[in-house]
Amino acid sequence: MGTPAVDEYPSLFRSEAMSLVQLFVPAEVAHDTVAELGELGNVEFKDLNPDVNPFQRSFVGEIRRIEEMARRVRFFAAQIERERDPVPIRPLYDSAPLIAVGPGAAQTMDNIDVKLSEHESRLLDMNDSYEVLSARLAELTEARHVLRETAVFFQRAESNQTEIRSSFDDSSAPLLQHDDRENQYLTVSNVQLDLEFIAGVIDRTRLPTFERVLWRVLRGNLYMNHIDITEPFVDAATDNSTYKNVFIIFAHGEALLAKIRKVSESLGATIYPIDANADKRVESLREVNTRVEDLKAALYNTGSTRRAELVKIGESLRSWEDLVRKEKAVYETLNLFNYDVGRKTLIAEGWCPSRDITMIQLALRHATEESGTSVPPILHELRTNKTPPTYQRTNKFTEGFQTIMDSYGIATYQEVNPGLFAVVTFPFLFAVMFGDIGHGAIILAAALWMIFNERKWARADLGEIMGMFFYGRYIILLMGLFSVYTGFIYNDIFSKTLHLFRSGWTFPESGDGIVHGEANGHVYPFGLDPGWHGAENALIFTNSYKMKMSLVLGVTHMTFALCLQVPNHLRFNRLADLYHGFIPQMLFLQSIFGYLVVCIIYKWVVDWSKSSIPPPSLLNMLIAMFLSPGTVEDHLYRGQAFVQTVLLLIAGVCVPWMLCVKPYLLWKETKRIQNHGYVGLVATDDNHIARHDDLEGEEEGDGRAIAADLGEEHEKHDFSEEVIHQIIHTIEFCLGCISHTASYLRLWALSLAHAQLSEVLWKMTLGRVLGAEGLFGKVKLLFVLVLWFNATVGILCVMEVRGCYQIVQPKNVRLLMVGFWDK
Amino acid sequence: MEALFFNADSGFLEGIVRGYKAGLLTQSQYSNLTQCETLEDLRTQLASTDYGNFLANEPSPISTSTIADKALKNLVDQFNYIRSNAVAPLDKFLDYITYAYMIDNLVLLITGTLHKRKLTELLKRCHPLGWFEGMPALGVPTNAEELYHTVLVETPLAEYFRDCLKVDDLDALNIEIIRNTLYKAYLEDFQRFCQSLGGPTADVMGRILAFEADRRSINITINSIGTELSKEQRARLFPTIGRLYLGGNNALAKAEDIDQVRSACDSVTEYRAFFEGVGGMEGAAAQIEDRFFVEEVSLNKMAFLQQFQYGVFYAYVKLKEQEIRNITWISECIAQEARNRIQDYITLF
Repeated sequence: MGTPAVDEYPSLFRSEAMSLVQLFVPAEVAHDTVAELGELGNVEFKDLNPDVNPFQRSFVGEIRRIEEMARRVRFFAAQIERERDPVPIRPLYDSAPLIAVGPGAAQTMDNIDVKLSEHESRLLDMNDSYEVLSARLAELTEARHVLRETAVFFQRAESNQTEIRSSFDDSSAPLLQHDDRENQYLTVSNVQLDLEFIAGVIDRTRLPTFERVLWRVLRGNLYMNHIDITEPFVDAATDNSTYKNVFIIFAHGEALLAKIRKVSESLGATIYPIDANADKRVESLREVNTRVEDLKAALYNTGSTRRAELVKIGESLRSWEDLVRKEKAVYETLNLFNYDVGRKTLIAEGWCPSRDITMIQLALRHATEESGTSVPPILHELRTNKTPPTYQRTNKFTEGFQTIMDSYGIATYQEVNPGLFAVVTFPFLFAVMFGDIGHGAIILAAALWMIFNERKWARADLGEIMGMFFYGRYIILLMGLFSVYTGFIYNDIFSKTLHLFRSGWTFPESGDGIVHGEANGHVYPFGLDPGWHGAENALIFTNSYKMKMSLVLGVTHMTFALCLQVPNHLRFNRLADLYHGFIPQMLFLQSIFGYLVVCIIYKWVVDWSKSSIPPPSLLNMLIAMFLSPGTVEDHLYRGQAFVQTVLLLIAGVCVPWMLCVKPYLLWKETKRIQNHGYVGLVATDDNHIARHDDLEGEEEGDGRAIAADLGEEHEKHDFSEEVIHQIIHTIEFCLGCISHTASYLRLWALSLAHAQLSEVLWKMTLGRVLGAEGLFGKVKLLFVLVLWFNATVGILCVMEVRGCYQIVQPKNVRLLMVGFWDK
Repeated sequence: MEALFFNADSGFLEGIVRGYKAGLLTQSQYSNLTQCETLEDLRTQLASTDYGNFLANEPSPISTSTIADKALKNLVDQFNYIRSNAVAPLDKFLDYITYAYMIDNLVLLITGTLHKRKLTELLKRCHPLGWFEGMPALGVPTNAEELYHTVLVETPLAEYFRDCLKVDDLDALNIEIIRNTLYKAYLEDFQRFCQSLGGPTADVMGRILAFEADRRSINITINSIGTELSKEQRARLFPTIGRLYLGGNNALAKAEDIDQVRSACDSVTEYRAFFEGVGGMEGAAAQIEDRFFVEEVSLNKMAFLQQFQYGVFYAYVKLKEQEIRNITWISECIAQEARNRIQDYITLF
């Protein structure tokens, strides 16, 4: 592997040159160093103790403390969330940053920890008292309801009382067991019921069970009344609201009453002692009312102090969250490090872009200065033959494209990055389908709008859908631009045409109502001639045109993607792959589909109206080329049969070429090595580690350790595996050529569908009312215009964009990856 | 045939439950757990398993009961998810699983009331899967008939309770009789239901329930030796679906010491091993109980070997329960510094 030059200009073409670096960090600056490097964000640390349990690592204690803090912060956030009126939370970019590095770091963390726990205990206290108060309030409210409802009940009973009395007149005397009380009642009002009763409140969902159980307990002798309480009771602890009912049960006899009480208690009902005496009831109602008022005032006070506390927390909540998250990340990274023998220094290994090493060194120095110690962390590069991770440097423009490509697969280190080409091919293929000046302009405007608001929106949380669009704003921008361009080529604006230049067709009036276009010698300089618009055979023409165009584009795209493997082969010096992979693949593709493309262009060039032979069907030609090689029915040009036979033979030769040569070369190579007397190096993992350590020890003197993991590059050349691999590759390539070509026809299909849809939209809405006269006509026009515009934006610009996007994405991505087929 | 249409109704849930099963702790995870020094370590370690951060929002000195509660809540949530997505006859099958917990809750409440425990405290200790309507009112009645008429008549347990109506007052012995009678009726009913489903469900559940029945018979015998429970009464408590039925059960009913129990079980090869090396009465019950648990786990694991049957749902609940017992055991051992006994959990996978 060629060691990449560090001073190479950064490009999207290949991933960054990476270096394996080793850091010796004195324990006292370790935290600050990692924090600093974390802010920089371009070192990927390796886990140096992969077989240590998570809770046995060095910094578990710190992480645990941070987690406790995180829990408190989450608790605050949940409390703020629960508050009915939103509590203002100061956004992170507005808050003063909490600095947890430097000499005062530990102090800061301690302070915050203390502050958090103080806030928590205060909040918990307040919550407790709030809950107690609200429980008390709920109880009193229940009592009030019971008093009121029973009052209503008694009133109703009183009005019926005379009849009851009269019917029980004779036998009433033995029923009056409590004479004294009876007398007392009589003194208050001479119309009192003498029945013992229990009144209380129960959860509405439990009421049916309660009633049934009671009915069975009392053996059917149940006289029970219940009334809904309309307003819900809100539990202060959980914010759940429950609905309750007031019930009143009449029964006779202490035993029964006790039983009822027991059942009520067990089913969670609350019983309130209610006096049978009306005056006493009124009195207790008054008393309850005053206490409710008092409690409400107390509750209000507690609530507002609690709210004040929450507002105070809200001011720094975001910065705490930020700090806690950062600190946790720092300690989790520190856990990846190794202690040296004296436990004074931490040893870290990691990958970083070679270009950034100076920056990292600056950061290290900065961290040392900040923390006020004199011992700087030492960084040095390790030589290795491990394959470094792929790192593609992106900016806000290429980020979206790179993400699309990465979702399919990530190139190996230093391979050609397909993301670079996606910047152009992706929006272009999209535009082939979406070609329309008007719709393109709408998307373009939307993209520009997002880009102009970039600064503002980058900070805001836009929600899932909008966030996705915003993330891809530069993709959308290019898609819009390209759509406008292809729109000009298709000469299509909201399914109408632009008449920019002089048309190549004239339509002289003829008597029979059918107008025949006649060529007038002009050639329309750019795009489709507007004369086609509205012609009888317009669809036939655009159909054939777009189909052929999508084939030409498709084969070009595939050829290009295939070429992408060449720089890889050259770079990694894989000449065998170049000669026995790339060249036969290219020949295969070109001799079949390249030939088709040449024929398409040739057929376009020939003026068939002046030719002596009729235009041949290219589709039939391609099929006949395989089915009956050597014979051609409709000639396109002279000597066609010979050319086609030769091409078919070339393609035929390429298949065994791809299939056999590479495995054979490999086999010969292994044979040669074995003949020289070498034996395969079978190294176990343990050996590596031992070797690694040995080398490190040896090299300590000159300060440049070598991490030599030899095993990783020495894959065992299992011959049969290699052959199977190659067979799969060959079949995949040959079939892939055909299926990919066919699937490029989707460009044509989507493009036609898009054009038809926009035409239908136009005809069904705006086209009908455009000529209308008078005020009514104008109003109608306005209304339909709005309808049409909404439909255009809604259906075409949003739904179709998504649709086309989803088609382009796998296609384009896969095709650009063709370059990496030989992996 | 049942395999043909099984997935239409229950394929999704079987997939879910097999996914849950894949999340059960493995041997290596257990050995990591046993290395923990403190409960905080345990919390960290559990966070890297399928439990995820189920303890993340608990304030720091964490107690074993919190861990157990949260783990149980995990199971209950999973069960409720499955139950709410189930269609007939799986829903009925799942309901049957809960009946066992209902019986436990019933007995817990009656016993608690007998010992004058506080109702709220008792309700907290009830298994959430066995919650039924009117359950809190169980503390009210004072004899079996009242119990039946007041609450149980409208629960699924009513049918099972009919045989208990002869019992008059609720004392400790009678409660035990009620528990075992209920369990016997429940197991027999569940077995009937599973056999009516037919197919592999009947096979798998038949095996599991037969073992469960035998386990109860043996436990009843061992625990009743030397108590005032008469032999006829004892015989009436044995479920009639186990592999020991009929000959073994008869022998068990007559057994007077552990050796007679052993010889009663001799007819079934698997059970013979349970009694190996078991000495006198002292500790025998505990020793055998542990072996029963191991056997239960292996039976439940076997349920996962067959597809297109409901046994997996039952087996998962039982396995998860065992796992919760294991976690609780380990955390208790850590909390009480009894590290020498920490290995006494039962490995599932």
